[in-house]
Amino acid sequence: MTIDLGFWTLQTLNALQLSMLLFLLSVGLTVIFGLMHFVNLAHGALYALGAYFAASLAAVGGYWMGFFLAPVAVAGVGVLLYTGLIQRMRKSGPMAQVLVTFGLIFALLDLTRIFWGDLALAIEVPGILSGRLAFLGVEYPTYRLFIIVLGTAILAALSLVLSRTQIGAMIRAGVDNDAMAACLGINVERLFFIVFCVGCALAGLAGAVAAPLLSVTPEMGLQILIPTLIVIVIGGLGSLKGAIAGSLIYGFVQTFGAVLAPQLASVLIYALLAAVLVIKPVGLFPAKG
Amino acid sequence: MKRSILTALGLATGLAMPAAAEDIKVGLLLPFSGVYASLGNEIEAGFALGLEQFGGETDATFDIVNEDTEVKPPVALGKAKKLILQDKVDVMVGVVSSGVLGAVRDMVHGAGVPLIVANAGNDGATGESCSPFITRMSFSNGQVNRPMGQWMYDQGIRKIYTLAPDYAAGRQMIEGFAATFTAAGGEIVGQDFTPFQKTQDFGPYLTQAKSSGADAVYVFYAGGEAISFVKQYDSFGLKAELPLYGSGFLTSPLYVNAEGPAAEGVITALHYVPTIDSPANAAFVEAFKAKTDRMPSEFAVQGYDAARALIEATKAGATDRASLANALRQVSFEGPRGQLSIDPATNNIVQPIYVYETVAGEGGLTQKVLAQLPAEADPVNGCEMAAPVSN
Amino acid sequence: MFRHTPLRYATLVLLASVALFRVFTAEYFGLEILTEIFILAVLVLALDMVAGFGGMVSLCHGALMGVGAYAYVMLSTIAGIAPPVAMAGAIAVTGVAAWVIGAICARSHGIYFIMATLAFGQMAYSYVFEAPIFGGDDGLGGISRLDLSFVGIDLNDSRSFAFFCLAILAAVYGTAVLILRSGLGRSLSGVMHNEQRMRALGLTVWRVKADVFGLSGMIAGLAGVLAAQHIMYISPGLLSWTVSGEALVVVILGGVGTLIGPLVGAVAFVMLKHELSAVTTYWHLVVGCILIAVVMSRANGIFGWLEDRWGARIDRRAADATRNQKTEEVASDA
Repeated sequence: MTIDLGFWTLQTLNALQLSMLLFLLSVGLTVIFGLMHFVNLAHGALYALGAYFAASLAAVGGYWMGFFLAPVAVAGVGVLLYTGLIQRMRKSGPMAQVLVTFGLIFALLDLTRIFWGDLALAIEVPGILSGRLAFLGVEYPTYRLFIIVLGTAILAALSLVLSRTQIGAMIRAGVDNDAMAACLGINVERLFFIVFCVGCALAGLAGAVAAPLLSVTPEMGLQILIPTLIVIVIGGLGSLKGAIAGSLIYGFVQTFGAVLAPQLASVLIYALLAAVLVIKPVGLFPAKG
Repeated sequence: MKRSILTALGLATGLAMPAAAEDIKVGLLLPFSGVYASLGNEIEAGFALGLEQFGGETDATFDIVNEDTEVKPPVALGKAKKLILQDKVDVMVGVVSSGVLGAVRDMVHGAGVPLIVANAGNDGATGESCSPFITRMSFSNGQVNRPMGQWMYDQGIRKIYTLAPDYAAGRQMIEGFAATFTAAGGEIVGQDFTPFQKTQDFGPYLTQAKSSGADAVYVFYAGGEAISFVKQYDSFGLKAELPLYGSGFLTSPLYVNAEGPAAEGVITALHYVPTIDSPANAAFVEAFKAKTDRMPSEFAVQGYDAARALIEATKAGATDRASLANALRQVSFEGPRGQLSIDPATNNIVQPIYVYETVAGEGGLTQKVLAQLPAEADPVNGCEMAAPVSN
Repeated sequence: MFRHTPLRYATLVLLASVALFRVFTAEYFGLEILTEIFILAVLVLALDMVAGFGGMVSLCHGALMGVGAYAYVMLSTIAGIAPPVAMAGAIAVTGVAAWVIGAICARSHGIYFIMATLAFGQMAYSYVFEAPIFGGDDGLGGISRLDLSFVGIDLNDSRSFAFFCLAILAAVYGTAVLILRSGLGRSLSGVMHNEQRMRALGLTVWRVKADVFGLSGMIAGLAGVLAAQHIMYISPGLLSWTVSGEALVVVILGGVGTLIGPLVGAVAFVMLKHELSAVTTYWHLVVGCILIAVVMSRANGIFGWLEDRWGARIDRRAADATRNQKTEEVASDA
């Protein structure tokens, strides 16, 4: 096997692409947790919904319609979930939250089967993003580069919002101490609501972005859930820095594990997770030291 | 083991009332939920169509009981016990996953209830753990892939990189191909087995295949993984320099349209494609399309032929569990797939294999048959059982 | 600490008598369902011990059960050890694995504990799924049941096996009560209610957690051995995280921290699943909605709701009765 520089460049790009996809998913989950101390296991199901919405919308109005409207639709589902369930569950313990969202996984999985059937759906990549781009001495699929760019852009936007704007300051205050933030006149309830909806929209976006790369099946939400949880637990719950660090670690371990130690590929990441939990039980970059 | 199950069931089988001579109770053991739900529904549709079309040829009437395996071996075994002990079915049809087949095998064998396997392709089921009560009307993993070794060598391909999910079926499919390909003189330059149902991104493996110096890539993937794989293979632009070959499940008509243009030009081998040019197939395709409004897949034809086999067995005079099991081992007919028969040494089906290319057609992708490779019986693989009593 | 109230006794007697009655009268498929309930009940008792009395919400008990099942099969079928010894060995192996997991996770709390146990469960699942020695996705068959023919019981008979599982369930219940009432069990509930204080009192908190988790793991391993013997076939699906999730659902559905609640939950869950899956393949949807409704109702599951509703009244009446009795005794003494 001829392994040269180009090979490693390609694999690095593969790792980055996987990391960014996971980042889109985990950032919503982790910020919701950091702010609301709420564990949403149904986040993966929202991602699957995003992919299904995108597939249906793309069939009507092309890829970009799915891309822009699927996150909105999933945010709409988020509004329903928040007002119907989450709001009342906020003060319950983690076990009750895990269980309610576990129930949601069951329900949403069957609902997607009822509405869209068991057969896999698919979306075509739009013309402008199909094909390959040559750079750094390699050729790489444009759509994958698009995912990397999109992930980076979202990361930049989120960190800008969190560090430079008023609402960002309010969110940081809420993560730090929500009771104190409420005392200072911040409408914490509304803040929670906004953050939850944005988190859902990001999950929907991840689904819409992943759909052309993968296949859209009812089980896709379950399949992505465990990697997402691993990402946020390794990174530390509640922080943007943790989400990006966790995503990168997962993406690189998974990709290079598959290349260098294929027999260990699937056990490797769990072993890493266990190691992180032994050394730092709250993850690498938790929101609160 | 066998004896202990027999004693466990002794009471049950002893008390089982022989069904009225012409009324056959059939248990359909299929996944109607879980990852293979679409396959379960497809097989059931084919089975129902088969009964409808050929049911008039026999005096027997069929009473169907559906049970959902959920693709979980323990659940499936529970359901099989219910069908055998409580519903007292005369024959069972179905089983999509090899795991489920492994779980129900001892139960079926011990109780002496004939099982027509309508999908699960585990080589061992008609090899070392074969049973006179288990007849396979679908395929075996090795059977579908073995003919491709010689065929691809004849096309001038010398170096191959293989990829498949890391589980028993994936390994058997690739082993079947690799054995004949290397025997013909070809070389396997690299092999990867990807974590089953956990691999979302095939990029790392594709990059490796590309740098391996192979002439072509041979893969087995099915369902959601097949769709992801074919699309990602195309997006890396590998199809032009490194043609994609594989087991035909890769581009099954059931989901090939979800793969879209990415599947064009992929060459695979399978025991059935809807474009086989024969009157029997034309009639089947037309009837299936009229009922479901889509092209039949290999899974539909497996259900259809399972129904046909059952009817042929009753036509030969079989009425109860034992006689059905015996008669099923000797069925032979011309179906949509061509001339089919059961190899009495293993109870596996003997059928031709079709090499086909997925090409663009009007209203979606279609299959262009490149070659029909002759039917070959599987090697016996340690299967030992008595020959059937001739009718 | 765990205490038996009159309501708990009443429920226990009711459950036991119905179970016995059904074991003697059920048909073949009924026996299958009964055995499934008994095995699930053993597993959820193990889970309730750690989740309800130690605050350790584990998402790896399904995997521990799978470890028990695989260890039993490895020891009995592959290594050729006699089934009773293999059973003990499998339970020991699972206990050790659980102890190690408990020790490592003892420092984590709340959601981190859940995630950490999930990680270990998935690790075991991935390993079993991919290691060829375990038969991979296709699983392993040819498992033999315990031979009790020397006392005249043939466990290959469905009824005898259901009875055997019921007997083991009863023994496990007794053991769980004993453990929870022991010094270890008392320390555990102390840890759950105030970890700092227990530490200040000089207790090695992580040891207590690990020990109980290990004991709970042994029970989960026993459930796995029974499952392997019941189905006579094992596959990696046993270790999947959804099995752990379902066990947790059963515990919550019944009432966490009551020991009896999970038994009620196991009965309700299995019956519901079978009734619904006979009607529709979308039974997950119904179970999901019921689960959401139960948790949202804020009652502590079915049994917790019963206790809130009637338990207090029965307790009061019982207390009154004993008080009256005492006054009478005092009166007669005088």
